[in-house]
Amino acid sequence: MSEILVHVTVNGEVREWRAQPGDLLLDVLRREGYWGVKRGCETGECGACAVLLDGEPVNSCLMFAAQADGRELLTIEGVAEGEKLHPLQEAFLDHGAVQCGYCTPAMVLCAKALLERSPQPTEAEVREALSGVLCRCTGYKKPVEAILAAGEAAAKPRGKAARSGRAAR
Amino acid sequence: MFDRIRAFHRPTSVAQALRMFEAERRRGGRGRWVAGGTDLVVQRDRTLRWLVDLTRLPLGYVRRVRSGFVIGATTRMADIEHSKPLHGFADGILPEAASTCGSQQIRNMATIGGNLANASPACDLAPPLLALDASVVIAGRGGRRTLGLDRFFRGVNRTALNGGLLVEIVVPAPPQAATTTWSCQKLGRLQSDIAVVNAAAGVALDARGYCTWARIALGAVAPTPLRARGAEALLVGRRFDRAAVEAAAEEAAAGVKPVTDVRGTAEYRRAMCRVLVARALEECARRAGRSL
Repeated sequence: MSEILVHVTVNGEVREWRAQPGDLLLDVLRREGYWGVKRGCETGECGACAVLLDGEPVNSCLMFAAQADGRELLTIEGVAEGEKLHPLQEAFLDHGAVQCGYCTPAMVLCAKALLERSPQPTEAEVREALSGVLCRCTGYKKPVEAILAAGEAAAKPRGKAARSGRAAR
Repeated sequence: MFDRIRAFHRPTSVAQALRMFEAERRRGGRGRWVAGGTDLVVQRDRTLRWLVDLTRLPLGYVRRVRSGFVIGATTRMADIEHSKPLHGFADGILPEAASTCGSQQIRNMATIGGNLANASPACDLAPPLLALDASVVIAGRGGRRTLGLDRFFRGVNRTALNGGLLVEIVVPAPPQAATTTWSCQKLGRLQSDIAVVNAAAGVALDARGYCTWARIALGAVAPTPLRARGAEALLVGRRFDRAAVEAAAEEAAAGVKPVTDVRGTAEYRRAMCRVLVARALEECARRAGRSL
């Protein structure tokens, strides 16, 4: 069993991982301390392990660590800038969009990818972007409102973020 | 899970991939190709000892060739889903089918080649590709060969690959493209679920409303995705009306061999096969601007 080296950028930092050839990305990320990447179903259905790979959401439970070599990963740990939360994270807090929190990192990452390609998404687009992340608390409504509000807030940078009532349109 | 895998190869060319696969095969132990991993990882095969990764090969492309297309085997479902040229081809049934292949994260990983090579009876892209008379290009030690997709599937999770590498999917120009309309249908609890039944159809109608060419393909109703040739034959040369649609749907459902599993009973699948074929043909008529 020969160890392999994986050169990868995680949250903007260059990393070199020693891994086994059959290691899955989820296992290596958690071993390296990225505990915001959650272990859920391990069959690609729940989406709790989602990370952004070169900006696009993928399920880290279905990917081999070796396949991340030369790629760029973003986990929830890299979304805030130091103590300053990302507007999406603020919006999730403002809207009470966090329940048990297990699916939240994946939801925020999927939402971030969505806002980057579609800065002011429709509700249908938001729901589609979240459809690969299952919430056992059944709380999709507030995350949807939070993401729509974050999109609206970004559209008018001077104004205060649109709050709850208007956010859902 | 895969702690017994001793080698994970990452070739950057098809020739190198074939050499690595062959060297491992001679060395012994079970191994496989891997791309998106969305089927392979879930199958949890602990007998695997080596993998040859395809995600660095230059096989991610959708290219227009004459009036058809060639699609590289590692093109992801998301790329097919968002391909503008494919949206303008065959009423967009390929992007439509790709958009139902699991969640967004799955579609960002899963590839067209993996979808076909896994040979699930419910393979999302098989019915539209069979309806489009697609072929696959297989690279092996002896060079490349092209095989009709209808001869590629050999059973549940079994194909004609035999260690070869699926490198490209060829979608020819439909013979009567100007007068052909298409439809793709999938039945699942959600659109992103594994299909209970799926189907695709393409129909060419002449100015008098007669059918001059027809393709009907089905999934999840037999060990492999398949063409409903009997139903196609019923349509050609006939006036494309309600009775013709119903006769073809009946014929398609009569010719399948569905199984009972967690997603549905054989009886339900047969009934839904008839419904989906009728819906597909109705949509073809609608898209041709004809009422039945």
